Amino acid sequence: MRKCLRFLASTKFTLLGMGLLAVGAALSYDNPVDTPVWVLVVPMAILAVNLLAAIVSNARINRRGGLLVFHISLLGIVILAAIGRLTHMVAHIEMVDGDTFAIEELQNVRRGPWHSGELEKVIFIQGPYTVDYAPGMVRGPTRSQVLVPDGQGGWERRVVGDDKPLILEGYRFYTTFNKGFAAVLTWMPDGAMPVTGTVHMPSYPLFDFRQTNRWTPPDGDEIRFWLQLETGLTPDEAWTLDPRQAEGTLVVKVGEHRVELAPGEAVRLPGGALRYERLSSWMGYKLFYDPTLQWLFIVAVVGVLGLSAHFWNKYATHPWPQASSALDKELEVANAGGGKSL
Amino acid sequence: MNGEEVFTELPWFYTGLAAYMLATLLAVYGVVRARSGPAGAAVTRTYESAVLLLITAGVLLLTISLAVRWLRIGHGPFVNLFELLISQLFSLGLVYAIAYWRLPVIRPTAVVVMPVLLLMGAWVLMIEPVDSAYPPTYYNKWLWAHVGFGKFFLAFCLVGAGLAGIILMRGIQRLAPFFRSLPPDKVLDHLAWRFMILALIFDSLMLIAGAVWAQDAWGRYWAWDALETSSFLNWLFIGAALHARLTYRIPIRVGALAIIGIFVFAFFTYFGTPFVSEAAHKGVI
Repeated sequence: MRKCLRFLASTKFTLLGMGLLAVGAALSYDNPVDTPVWVLVVPMAILAVNLLAAIVSNARINRRGGLLVFHISLLGIVILAAIGRLTHMVAHIEMVDGDTFAIEELQNVRRGPWHSGELEKVIFIQGPYTVDYAPGMVRGPTRSQVLVPDGQGGWERRVVGDDKPLILEGYRFYTTFNKGFAAVLTWMPDGAMPVTGTVHMPSYPLFDFRQTNRWTPPDGDEIRFWLQLETGLTPDEAWTLDPRQAEGTLVVKVGEHRVELAPGEAVRLPGGALRYERLSSWMGYKLFYDPTLQWLFIVAVVGVLGLSAHFWNKYATHPWPQASSALDKELEVANAGGGKSL
Repeated sequence: MNGEEVFTELPWFYTGLAAYMLATLLAVYGVVRARSGPAGAAVTRTYESAVLLLITAGVLLLTISLAVRWLRIGHGPFVNLFELLISQLFSLGLVYAIAYWRLPVIRPTAVVVMPVLLLMGAWVLMIEPVDSAYPPTYYNKWLWAHVGFGKFFLAFCLVGAGLAGIILMRGIQRLAPFFRSLPPDKVLDHLAWRFMILALIFDSLMLIAGAVWAQDAWGRYWAWDALETSSFLNWLFIGAALHARLTYRIPIRVGALAIIGIFVFAFFTYFGTPFVSEAAHKGVI
């Protein structure tokens, strides 16, 4: 048993774990989704066992405060990273101006098996946004307005964007480069209640010349849409994308039938009528949830402090050599007249 | 080069680089003179002062160059290769100048360290000093911590590599006399690994600050992108080398080769990896 513990705590086992982790990291490079998770999990597990055994049994670690703190923190990071993967959630959502956050609108949802956040408690309403562009269509700051409950029955306006996420119930909503326009439409089927919804056009200005989409009403023919936009886009000059200032004409095509609609206009189509209510915009968010984030940060910082304290103390008792003793001896000889004068 | 643009930072950069070049020549001359006995030793000391003065002058001139560019384009040297190289020439020179001043024992390493800086300077000369656009995610204050810690990391690696270089050069019979005034290899080896431990500490801080920045900027603290993977491998290599030293009797020259290898990997992490991909962190700007 003791022999086994000694092996598990050995630096040879550490080197094995580190070597495997280096291979796992290299395999995960730039392609983490398609790489089997085991290439990282196995070396991490080896290193966790090695760290635990070393912390428990290696006097060179557990009798040196700073080094002990560093190794415990490394173990903590491995454990927290594992908990983070088991409880995390990542998703994307496109929020139309005026819409309230709805879980069912989430796309590309990935979550750990232990995810147990309170996403259903997240409430916010999307507002308008602006995005600055430098000459040459270089994207600058994004400012997305949202309304969140102020806790007193009202709403609080917040502006988020780029490196400033909206954080609600531990869920972080990050604006992305993915944003664009949407046409708010009302479908008035023959003999049934009208339905209002939105058709999202592709990301803008990335797909400036491809603002198209299609939709098939229940019991109707496929409708193709093309949004002709006036946004003031000037590729060679600084420009701000502000959907509130934009105008859009909606081209509607069903088969060979083509009609252009201004906001408020309607067209008669097979099975009902379609009204183009107004031009709207949508902002694409990345949703991220990981309850271990703050702990990871704290544990990592404490670990580095421990390592620094260890070497600070060690170097304090073994000072840095200040000069080349051989050279100084030669200089002493030279100054005493034993060498050529300068 | 855009005909309408005037790159006012370049004269300062050229003069700074010239100061580094003179420092290199003097450092080499000083080491050569050290071969010739006690008088040579005294001359070496005189030249060391001049070398320190020239490195300091180079750092000051590069500081002005960076400041002029910063004022001209409105943001710091964080985006394109031209900016990153000048910024590193400044920070590596600054940290090395301080180490050179405070630790006279490392001074002969200038014959290894300064040529590396000159190589970087020559690289800058081959790059168009085009203005860069500042990505919105770079306004985050954690960028400063990340970059700052990274600069110390690379600088300590460079000093360690300088000492390792001396150890390896002393292994060549014809070069050994030039470095006879230095302490034994064992002392240099010990000193080199001290710098590598400092590098490990600052590498760790750089990774932490970078993860916080990445979380704010791109909604994930780690994604195994090109730069993250290389930086992590760097951290792992230093950790593995330190553990290997504890485990096996690594010959001093093998240890020196390991340090040089780690520095080379770190160098390509900085100046190779980000520009193999589309931007500093691929696809996320």
